[in-house]
Amino acid sequence: MKTAAFRYGSRILLYAMVMVFVIVQVYPIFWVIASSLKTPEEVARNAPYSFPHSFYFENYINMLQNSRIPLYFLNSSLVAVFTLLLTILLGAPAAYAIEKLRFRGNTKVMAFFLLGIMIPIFVSLLPMFQIYNALGLRNTYLSLVLPQVGFSLPLCIYLYCGFMRYVPNSLMESAYLDGAGPFLVFRKIIFPMSRNTTITIITFNFIFIWNEFTFANTFMTSSRMKTLPLGLNDFVGLYGYTDWGATYAAIAVTIIPTLVLYFILNKSVIEGMAAGAVKG
Amino acid sequence: MAIRRIIEPWLFVLPALVVYIFTVIIPIFWSFTFSLYEWNGIGDMKFVGIDNYMRMFRDNVFLTAFKNNLIFTGLGTVVQIVIGMIMAILLLSIRWFQNLIKVVYFIPCVISSMAICQIFSKMLSVNPEGVVNALLGAVGLDSLKAAFLSDPDLTLIIVTLVDAYKFCAIYMVIYYAAFISISKDIIEASIIDGCNGWKQYRYIRFPLIRGIVFITVVMLVSGTLKGFDVSYILTNGGPGASSELVSTYMYKVTFNSVNYGYGSAMAVFMVVECLLVVSLLRKLIAQADTED
Repeated sequence: MKTAAFRYGSRILLYAMVMVFVIVQVYPIFWVIASSLKTPEEVARNAPYSFPHSFYFENYINMLQNSRIPLYFLNSSLVAVFTLLLTILLGAPAAYAIEKLRFRGNTKVMAFFLLGIMIPIFVSLLPMFQIYNALGLRNTYLSLVLPQVGFSLPLCIYLYCGFMRYVPNSLMESAYLDGAGPFLVFRKIIFPMSRNTTITIITFNFIFIWNEFTFANTFMTSSRMKTLPLGLNDFVGLYGYTDWGATYAAIAVTIIPTLVLYFILNKSVIEGMAAGAVKG
Repeated sequence: MAIRRIIEPWLFVLPALVVYIFTVIIPIFWSFTFSLYEWNGIGDMKFVGIDNYMRMFRDNVFLTAFKNNLIFTGLGTVVQIVIGMIMAILLLSIRWFQNLIKVVYFIPCVISSMAICQIFSKMLSVNPEGVVNALLGAVGLDSLKAAFLSDPDLTLIIVTLVDAYKFCAIYMVIYYAAFISISKDIIEASIIDGCNGWKQYRYIRFPLIRGIVFITVVMLVSGTLKGFDVSYILTNGGPGASSELVSTYMYKVTFNSVNYGYGSAMAVFMVVECLLVVSLLRKLIAQADTED
């Protein structure tokens, strides 16, 4: 028979395990933020796992003065905004046509889009690189926006279709009887109804785009056009062995916006990323 | 009117289709064409047929990268499924703060691989002494202190684990959702039948979410076959080729050695590999499903 003591003990064990995973998942981020607040003496003398004695913001000031991180911040934001706008602008109408206008061959078009989910982005690096070279498009926002839109469209269309399938056709039919065309129906009925899907797509794609490394590393070589992950890499390369505090501050600064957004919108971020993963 | 009804839907689909074809589909054919040539981007293109593909089998670095990638995929898949499952079960077993714990567990998934790699690179470093070495020293395990990221025996494992660390919570969320969606009646009936605790997972819950677990295997295999960021940023494939993956080697051949033909052949290889493995896995899973 299971005694009360046994139950109590297993409860404690359970919560201990929960806490172990909490520590593992959080510690690296906690550590880098804590280290970014240490004075140079603390970093040099104290053990790396010790806590900072005070909030020393000098590291952040040094980091901002010695780098173009604010500029990279702007670049990353602009790329994200343009990519998200274009993805939604192209993806939502396409899903509407596939799911609701039901033209001949719509399932084939869908299957064709879904194929893209499995294609590794590496196959498009060199071709895009050459097209951009020929057209002088390297080091432009467009060079990062285009391929990211192309590779996020399949999932975006898939998610919109999944939602629109459950929008009753009778809604659209009564609008048609009132004389509305398909464009008006999309703009006034279907798209506003898909609001939650739109939010999900935007939030998790934002995280992917904000963190994207490969395309940016290939197409953005000018130091004025780099995105945050690249800028961070450069900064660590330059100061990683001399100014440790500023390096930690640079890492922290790139993490904090994502964390803030994530804590506000955690539900749609988690849902979106899980749905995004299931696609494959 | 009839023509309008045929054309109209295409006006909605076409813009997306054009961008998609231009950025995803055409590059596949483009890369395939390049893969049949020897070219450094400036001089003449020399047609060499399938030589670039034959070369992969003779190229020791490629073979190492391929072998590494298999380890990265195999180990990464197992670790992420096991850890994801453990975290999902923990989440399911606690009564309070479920959502908070879920949000906390998921944090590494939203951090860029650049930031994760930089943090781990600092934590594992020797000079300045990182957290890992300092902790080993503090608990008296000085013999285990090491320059982890320059030890060729360890780098591939570290790269695999850091990548798994970043993504395992996604599988937690998927398994958790699957466990939650099991009907309450089934669970209650099994409890009445005396099926509790671990037994309940063994006989009721695991079998019921088997389909989802299969799906995550496909996801993980196709995802890890394309793995790039952590190897490229954390160790740059090194030391030597000890943590090189197919994608990182392809990237270096294409953009550092400017060998466009050979690099494209490897890119095409990756596409074929991904499509083959995923369709094969799907077939196996469909077969396993119809058997019972």
